[in-house]
Amino acid sequence: MAVVRGSRKKVFVMNSARYIFVGIICTLVIFPLYWMVVTAIQPPNVTLQYPPVLYPVHPNLLGFKQLFHGNPMARWLLNSGFVASITTIITVSFSILGAYSISYFKWRGRAAFAFLLLFTQMMPEALIVIPIFKIYDRLHLLNQLPALSLIHAAFVIPVGVWILRPAFESIPKEVNEAASIDGCSDMAILRKIVLPLTSPAIIAVGVVSFFASWGDYLMAVTMISKKELYPASVGLASTMSQLDTPIQTLLSGALLYGLPPVILYMFIQRFVISGLTAGAIKG
Amino acid sequence: MKKVRSSRVSRSRLPYLLALPIIALSFFLVLYPIIQGIYISLTDKTLGAATGKKVSFVGLKNYNELLHSSAFLNSLRLTVIYAIMNVIFSVGAGLITALTVNKKFRGRGGVRALLTAPWAFPDIASVIIFIWILNSAFGVIGIINVHLPFDTSGGWLTSSPYAFISVVGISMWKTFPFYSIVILSALQGVPEDLLEAATVDGAGPIQRFKTVILPSIRPTVLLLSLLAFIFAFRQFSMIYLTTGGGPERDTETLVLMVYNTAFKYFDYAFSSAIGVAGLIVTVAVASTYLLLTGRSEKGAR
Repeated sequence: MAVVRGSRKKVFVMNSARYIFVGIICTLVIFPLYWMVVTAIQPPNVTLQYPPVLYPVHPNLLGFKQLFHGNPMARWLLNSGFVASITTIITVSFSILGAYSISYFKWRGRAAFAFLLLFTQMMPEALIVIPIFKIYDRLHLLNQLPALSLIHAAFVIPVGVWILRPAFESIPKEVNEAASIDGCSDMAILRKIVLPLTSPAIIAVGVVSFFASWGDYLMAVTMISKKELYPASVGLASTMSQLDTPIQTLLSGALLYGLPPVILYMFIQRFVISGLTAGAIKG
Repeated sequence: MKKVRSSRVSRSRLPYLLALPIIALSFFLVLYPIIQGIYISLTDKTLGAATGKKVSFVGLKNYNELLHSSAFLNSLRLTVIYAIMNVIFSVGAGLITALTVNKKFRGRGGVRALLTAPWAFPDIASVIIFIWILNSAFGVIGIINVHLPFDTSGGWLTSSPYAFISVVGISMWKTFPFYSIVILSALQGVPEDLLEAATVDGAGPIQRFKTVILPSIRPTVLLLSLLAFIFAFRQFSMIYLTTGGGPERDTETLVLMVYNTAFKYFDYAFSSAIGVAGLIVTVAVASTYLLLTGRSEKGAR
């Protein structure tokens, strides 16, 4: 009996320790985001007090209002949405075709193709941004939003293929063989069987590519120099370096820009994991 | 008969056609720029105003300079330290978090959802919030600063070694929660009966971790370590917009040096040579990755 009570006490201590540890981790993770919300909804004169108060004082939504009056933020968010949509269309369609070729067919050059994807995924974009800038300059593609989408797509497509490949390969071979015997062509099998069965993975590729493009700064700041064409990332960064922007407005902008991917990523978590690891495991 | 044959021919071509859009795009925006970069690295080309200047071929001069450039060697060293710190701290913290969250407890689903947030949060938004938190005059970090045994009055982002510590910290905030989720999903594959058997045999938590848990999640942890290395190596905007590579060049990793050399010092040729050095690192890492994953696949069979 005494032993049981002792071990119960031990379990209680262990559980409490676990809750405390989880609490600390969650606080560390959430605090910067919390602080952003606090700063975005309180007047700057409260924010600039020392010592800082850890909860919002006089909360209001003026920051968001200022963002859309006399500030090109709305325009910039629309630009980001436009660039990200085109990136998504290109990435989803190219990744579907690429993943189908790599998971359903044996062909010479398949391994080289996989290495090309892996290499593209791992290479820092910053290493070749300048040659791309030069090429775009020569082809008059600077300051063109769809041309920016094309670069974003080129770098996110490998992730798309890695997400789709295991999903495509999870469909039992017999299903495709049966369809093939019934006279379905390979493309019809892709359209009528593979795509409907893997729609969650395809949606995940859409979300990943949309927000990869939405989050890019490096390519956008290099290829786009006209202020009215800025995507939100470049717009926000330029606002940040202007000293006259009220801190409340800046943080409201960052919040509005940063929140959509956070919410959507929670739904596609498991696909992001497989895109990051599982897909490439079968290299 | 003829029809069957023609369909077979088109079938053998089909995978190439399917892969073609990606191959074309990669040639245009990845391989061709690389070739261009390698070519430029063999010349003395500059960016910007001096357009009338004749570009001449200088052979390996830039590479020779590279090997004798203390700025480059310093940046290379910095990049490696930065990447290794990312691996140790992010994967380490991810592992500890995963092991703790792996037990069933109230609110576990919520915690898991929360852990994805920093990873999904865009770089620029993270930069803005951390610049604000670390601001030396008004930042909330001020509350902690006064209790620290060392002097941070030079600013967390503007004095050494704090700038370097800050960029490691920001990167860690962004990655370790997500790595913990990845490890968590690997932990689901740890055989339950083995764990129970170990407990019955009197194995403590540390022994259980060593003998049962670690062997089954080792491939995932290795893979994550490599991915963390790559993530750190690629990271541009988060460092560029917080410290710009400074103070002096104390946070200028390789990718920042490539960018600064071209757009700040306008030395396009030298920048390209640094870029080529970075590409060699990438190829090495990608090959290691294939080797690792190939081995773990064989191990699984």
